[in-house]
Amino acid sequence: MTPLIKQKVDTRVVVETPEGADFQFVIAGAGTRAAAWLIDRLIQAGILALVSILALFLLPFGEAGAGLGFGGILIISFVLDWFYFSLFEAYWNGQTPGKRSQGLRVVRTNGTPIDPASAIGRNFLRAADMLPFFYTVGMISMLMTRRLQRLGDLVFDTMVIDERRERISRAGGLTANIEAFLRSECPRRFSVPERTLAVIERLFETDRIISEARREEIARPLSEALRKRLGYVDPQPDPRNPHTFFRTQGVRQTLFLLRVLKTFAENPEGTKSTAKTSSEERPIAVTAYQSKRLTAGSDEFVTSELANSAVSDAADKGRVHREP
Amino acid sequence: MNRERFIRQRRSDWQQFETLVSRLRATRQRAWASRDVSDLSRLYRSICYDLSLVQSREWGSRLEQYLNDLVAQGHNALYRSAPRSLSVIWDFFAYDFPRTFRRRIGAFSLALALFLIPFLVSTLVGWQRPDVAEMIAGKESLEAASQNFGEDLYTDMDAKYAGQRSAMAGFYVKNNTGIAFQAYALGAFIGLGTCFILLSNGISIGMVTGYILAAGPPTTENFFSFVISHGSFELTAIVISGGGGFVLAHGILFPGQRTRMDSLRHHGLESLKLALGAGAMLAIAAMLEGYFSPLPIPASIKYVVGSCLWLLVISYLSFAGRGGSANEG
Repeated sequence: MTPLIKQKVDTRVVVETPEGADFQFVIAGAGTRAAAWLIDRLIQAGILALVSILALFLLPFGEAGAGLGFGGILIISFVLDWFYFSLFEAYWNGQTPGKRSQGLRVVRTNGTPIDPASAIGRNFLRAADMLPFFYTVGMISMLMTRRLQRLGDLVFDTMVIDERRERISRAGGLTANIEAFLRSECPRRFSVPERTLAVIERLFETDRIISEARREEIARPLSEALRKRLGYVDPQPDPRNPHTFFRTQGVRQTLFLLRVLKTFAENPEGTKSTAKTSSEERPIAVTAYQSKRLTAGSDEFVTSELANSAVSDAADKGRVHREP
Repeated sequence: MNRERFIRQRRSDWQQFETLVSRLRATRQRAWASRDVSDLSRLYRSICYDLSLVQSREWGSRLEQYLNDLVAQGHNALYRSAPRSLSVIWDFFAYDFPRTFRRRIGAFSLALALFLIPFLVSTLVGWQRPDVAEMIAGKESLEAASQNFGEDLYTDMDAKYAGQRSAMAGFYVKNNTGIAFQAYALGAFIGLGTCFILLSNGISIGMVTGYILAAGPPTTENFFSFVISHGSFELTAIVISGGGGFVLAHGILFPGQRTRMDSLRHHGLESLKLALGAGAMLAIAAMLEGYFSPLPIPASIKYVVGSCLWLLVISYLSFAGRGGSANEG
């Protein structure tokens, strides 16, 4: 567990597996949980309506039939009240239809799937959490706990995780649409070490709330040191397309670091040979960098990493041997 | 090993793992092939190792997140609660529930006192001073209750309401079990909610009982022969479930040597057992109250059956699950 993660003021918790690896969960917020709850309530109402309609068919069988129908409705409504959530959570591995639609899941606080007893218990305690109205007690309890647990969660050691947000925050593809350096741009031979690349990645972590300007400021010392090592000089404005130059001025340093990341994280050899990219004068895609941060999917990382290693594989075959 | 080499070496495993997990997710656990399972656990362990390696060498947060995601998926696929069979239900009622009840007899006694004392007091009030009872509980409802158990109950009412039995049974399930579960859940407010529900139910039931006692023989006999049978399960269960609420409160208030969280979890499970057992008892009570109690048979038969049921409940709670087996409790 890195101390960085520990200090984070967000809704992540780190869980250690029995194998000794740490991994993170994103805790679901009250809003998504309320949405899931609303959907579940609607489904419950739907089921009850359906049962009531079915019960109408018992009416022709006289009073006994009507009584049976009415009793059935009452029993179903009792089961829905007290067991709807728990039965779904027990058999659908911590999800109800509403939770599934919102990408939520109930797990135990150690990250393991919920057991039937906890599922029943945490939902029994809804009766306490929903008091005096609209889950006020539950909400207060959520505000006071790190894992946003309502009373039922606290007593039965469960938490609700947001699997969808996890996926979004996993956005890879930081450097999608960023151009690697061309060899001609960096005359000095210098390989940026892994650690430095990791620092750059940290700077661009999507869940970090830093303004563009502040990130640029933070980036400057590192960026300037690297420029010196690499012998990189910012290009002059392109007379054919001066806008690009001025647009990128505000994010000069961050953009440089991203290009460093692109170039060295994916190919330790460093700069690309000019042979691979023919158009040396292609403008840098700034807008793409800005829009990427919310849209990139989880797969992007793997595919880009793998594509790159595939490229270097191909390159390896041509070479006799390479230093590790 | 540098980062690139590492990725290149391991990526086939990662991909294999990803496809395996997504395939297994789509199939039922019982249909998993043994080869897949052993692959899954082998790959999962190696990916856990990869994740630790990447974390310790700080090989970039993207790689870390990617592996983190893989581990999370594998963790969800591998670690599930053990599959349960129906024997769990039998074990619960044959051993676990009565044993838990006896272990927690203190909480039950507290709940019993909080129910029984106001019940007896208000019975006395209703009996001796019906006017006071009318003031407290409302004249109309008491009179309606008294009339319900009037002379003609079993000749008149049963014929009239024969069709309503199922409806009433359903109503008892919803209403009474709901109250019992509430009495349990509100124990989370350090037992105050449980107190409130036990007290208010004790008082209102007592008022009705006292009022009917004051009404005289035919009504009284109809009433007692009606309630004796299902009362055994119903009243006991409501008090047990209140006891569950107090177990919960105990876990919050007096953690003892445990941390408060630990204590909550421990007592939470114990209290849940009491509430669930009580729920089952109330379902039985509802069936009795719906189908047996209103039968037009002589009161003496009902007294005999009712007494037997009381004996059954008491001996079940006192003796069931003594002696060994079923995981020794």
